[in-house]
Amino acid sequence: MSDLLILWLPLAVGALTVLALLVDALSPPPASGRAVGWLVVAGLTATLGATFFVDVAGPAAHGAYEASAWTLALQRLFLAAGVIAALGGVDHVAARAPKRAGEYWLLLLASITGMTLLAGARDLILLVVAFELMGIPLYVLAAFAKTDGDRAGVRDRRPSEAALKLYLVGATSTAVTLFGLALLTGMTCATRLDALTATPLQPLATLGALLMLAGFGYKVGVVPFHMWVPDTYQGAWTPFVAFLSVAPKAAGVAALTQVFVLGLGAQHDRWLPALMMLAFLSMAVGNLLALPQTDARRLLAYSGVAQMGYALLGVAAIGEQGAAMTLFFLTSYVFTNMGAFLVVHAVAEGGGGHDLDGLRGLAGRAPGLAAALLCFILSLAGIPFAVGFWAKLYVFLAAWQAGLGGLVIAGVALAALGIFYYLQVLRAAYMTDARGLAAPVVGAPLKLAIGLCLAAVLGFGLWPGPLVEGTARAAHALLTAAAR
Amino acid sequence: MSPASSFALVAVLAPALAALVLAALPALRRQGTPAAMLCIAGSLGAFGAALAALSRLAHTHTPETWSRPWLQAAGLSLADVGVRVDGTSAPMLVVVTLVALCVQVFSLGYMHGESREAFGRYFAYHALFLFSMNVLVVSPNLLQLFAGWELVGVTSYLLIGFYYRKPEAAHAAVKAFWVTRFADMGLLFGLLALFTASGSFGWEAQLSPAVATFVTLMLFLAVVGKSAQFPLHIWLPNAMEGPTPVSALLHAATMVAAGVFLVVRAAPLFAQSETTRAVMLVTGSVTALFAACLALVQTDIKKVLAYSTCSQLGYMVAALGAGSVFGGFFHLTTHAFFKALLFLAAGSVIHAVHSNEIGKMGGLARRMPLTGGAFIIGALALAGVPGLAGFFSKDLVLEAVEGKLGSLPWIALLATAFLTAFYMGRVVFVAFFGAPANDHAAHAKEHGWSMRGPLVLLATLSVVVGYFGGDLAHLGGHAYHFHFTGGAALASGLGLAGIGLAYAVYGRGPREAPAIIATVDRIAQSRAVNRFYEFGFRRVTLVAADALAWIDRYVVDGLINMTGYVTLALGSRARKIQTGEAPDYVLAVMLGVVAMAAWVVVQ
Repeated sequence: MSDLLILWLPLAVGALTVLALLVDALSPPPASGRAVGWLVVAGLTATLGATFFVDVAGPAAHGAYEASAWTLALQRLFLAAGVIAALGGVDHVAARAPKRAGEYWLLLLASITGMTLLAGARDLILLVVAFELMGIPLYVLAAFAKTDGDRAGVRDRRPSEAALKLYLVGATSTAVTLFGLALLTGMTCATRLDALTATPLQPLATLGALLMLAGFGYKVGVVPFHMWVPDTYQGAWTPFVAFLSVAPKAAGVAALTQVFVLGLGAQHDRWLPALMMLAFLSMAVGNLLALPQTDARRLLAYSGVAQMGYALLGVAAIGEQGAAMTLFFLTSYVFTNMGAFLVVHAVAEGGGGHDLDGLRGLAGRAPGLAAALLCFILSLAGIPFAVGFWAKLYVFLAAWQAGLGGLVIAGVALAALGIFYYLQVLRAAYMTDARGLAAPVVGAPLKLAIGLCLAAVLGFGLWPGPLVEGTARAAHALLTAAAR
Repeated sequence: MSPASSFALVAVLAPALAALVLAALPALRRQGTPAAMLCIAGSLGAFGAALAALSRLAHTHTPETWSRPWLQAAGLSLADVGVRVDGTSAPMLVVVTLVALCVQVFSLGYMHGESREAFGRYFAYHALFLFSMNVLVVSPNLLQLFAGWELVGVTSYLLIGFYYRKPEAAHAAVKAFWVTRFADMGLLFGLLALFTASGSFGWEAQLSPAVATFVTLMLFLAVVGKSAQFPLHIWLPNAMEGPTPVSALLHAATMVAAGVFLVVRAAPLFAQSETTRAVMLVTGSVTALFAACLALVQTDIKKVLAYSTCSQLGYMVAALGAGSVFGGFFHLTTHAFFKALLFLAAGSVIHAVHSNEIGKMGGLARRMPLTGGAFIIGALALAGVPGLAGFFSKDLVLEAVEGKLGSLPWIALLATAFLTAFYMGRVVFVAFFGAPANDHAAHAKEHGWSMRGPLVLLATLSVVVGYFGGDLAHLGGHAYHFHFTGGAALASGLGLAGIGLAYAVYGRGPREAPAIIATVDRIAQSRAVNRFYEFGFRRVTLVAADALAWIDRYVVDGLINMTGYVTLALGSRARKIQTGEAPDYVLAVMLGVVAMAAWVVVQ
């Protein structure tokens, strides 16, 4: 099969980016913002639909890229996240940055292109390049909020700070990753992931692997590399944060699975302790630091840090089942966390602000939004029949069966502690009076975005079977390809 | 799909349908009464279906399971979803739906004063709760049971916190949910270990002794939380902040009973571990005695009943620990009826006198003869007076425990029987006899039929249900024939003595409490167990969180700032470009890298 055909999906998203650029350039600014936004929605939906008809598999570019069930599952996840992010942001972007709306969508598409490429990357160089293609647009996107204060004549420093932090930390971690990459490929004389499996790791190569782990760790936002997360979430636009908090993280964990489970799985004695430490610290620090938060975005930020800790449990389980469970967890997390952020966004736009207090009386003034928030929070907390229940059960099961009992016990205990702050959110929404807050007015696209997240959370929660099968197939495809 | 399982499925789905309709149609929910009627119709349907399933089972005597694969994947078949109708689940389903139905009908009158919107919301929560509980009861494996278990936790949170404008109620809801949820991690560990060892979530697995002990001990941890056993009983008294019918529902037949039900359900696993059973026996008897002592000194009628519930659950757990599965289950069944009766009668009284304090009641038997009669029947049944429901099941529990572990649990339970009769006698004499304490009590009136009907039904059941022990045992494949023994005579003698003592102390008008009770009161007031946990949570968790936040903010940043100052002193312009903190984060990145490198060197 020709390389172009196998690479069709990243190419399609790339082509969509170009198309969006043309539309943006050729139409007058005020109208173009919304138009490009809808083009993104339509284009990504069409691409997502096409994945169900285009059936390609196999390596391309001399094995640097591979189209397989694993690749496809991740790509679908990123496309779905993109569609929801576009729906959730289309009104906000057009209203806040009418002149620069086109740029927003181009950057978002560029980032998604990087993710779709990353999913198929089976070569370290391509993987890192894809990672950067995904990451660099995000720095710019985080800075869009900096003009928010201009209209009111207030200069808010926070958005610039948020973007700068994301950028500086991101750039530094890229440097770390590249240094690790250089050490690893230099010592093993291999860039292909399946070639790494065969070589025993020299100490310098181990250092390289660990530096790459650290570099990815920053992007994913696990402790101790988590410090940018709450600040950036608080400073950037919430519809963008909804995307930032899930898609790049899912991509980061997927990249970790590809590099460490597929590439370095045989040499796990060298890096597994470090990964387990990251997982433990993330679960502990995330859950504990979320407790005293009063800003919903910061609370969700620390909750996200903890959730990434659970995801790393699946990676640490090493092997097909672990990879499958990780993928399941990521799918669950993408829809759940996006939904939660979008509800927070809708409420904040309705005049409540981003504080937990702004959620007060939500059950009375917006029962639909409150019910959606309830489902998302219950899913994050791992309560049936939301998909998060299965996700958590799965990663714990995978880790337990891989012999990581101690880590699972710590994780379950910390998760039980975490219930406390999730309950704070529910308590604000369900057990307080509105006291002067009106019902938020939610635009149709945002409603649709929240509805899609809700459908996924409840649908996969009630019928997890197909998703379990799909993730198992994907993990099988990823890890048996190595044996081939 | 066989008839019995289709009936059971209907029993699960009918309340779910009512809840769905109420969730989907806010307009209907806000109407109030129609929503309540829909919910009651759902419960009535569920009860009818449960009864049909039970009679079908009584006819065929073969357990039936209907299930669909829920989770299957290559190399990983996780679980089925479905219904199982057998001698444990079918009677339990009938008890749960019947008590829920009574409580809902009673609520029509009790919650009448609420706004329409709140009224509708209340019944929507009830429908959701009944669905969750039924999912738990009919589950064919422990995974579905766990799912139902968690749902029960969530919906109980909504019900307990129903009066959320009262800070105590909101606090109680959080506490109940969190304590039980914390204990639930035991269930999760137990399931993980069970699945790893046996490859399924069934309860029939044969495990090695060590694994069996681990699995059952972990399951029992969840039971301790849900069934409010010492030392995790602390949430139950607080949960009395919920509306009284909710207390009747949660604390008689459903939520707290779920823990005992889990042990009955997973009896084959518990049979494999002597150690766990010994732990259960000790926990159960300690809880029974401890909670009975605390019940002596409560002045809030609901709190007396709350501690009494803890105490009776201790009886059940002790029976299960002694190896008598049927003893625990039988007491669960009888207790469900008379405790629901007591709570509802208490609700009727509270509704009439506008107070929970027994000191503000008095003479109510004359003003409210039906409620008074119902309460007295419930109290006598609870006290184990011969002929009433509690007598038979309590006797079976005592018989099972007798002679175990040097007879200490047996003695504790006998003492509990005496104390139970005494504290119930106290409530009856103070609240229902003597002179009215105030105008409210003097002018108390019976309520409408929606509140009286359930009382009559439950009172009847509290009298007769004990005689069905043999049938219940037969359904579950156990052997049980009541025979009057010395132990039974001793227990009922103690019960009567307790009532007599209560009459001597409280029967002739209000009196100073005896010295011994005042001492218990002082101990109870100290809230030692609660304070222990509060200390644990506040001091340890929050301090840890604060410390981490502090380290995050000051130590790490401080180190970094110091580096920053050094850099600045060296003439770098690094600090000019930024907002103050960003380079710190980058330095944090580098510190992390250095740590990684150092670790490799050490390795």
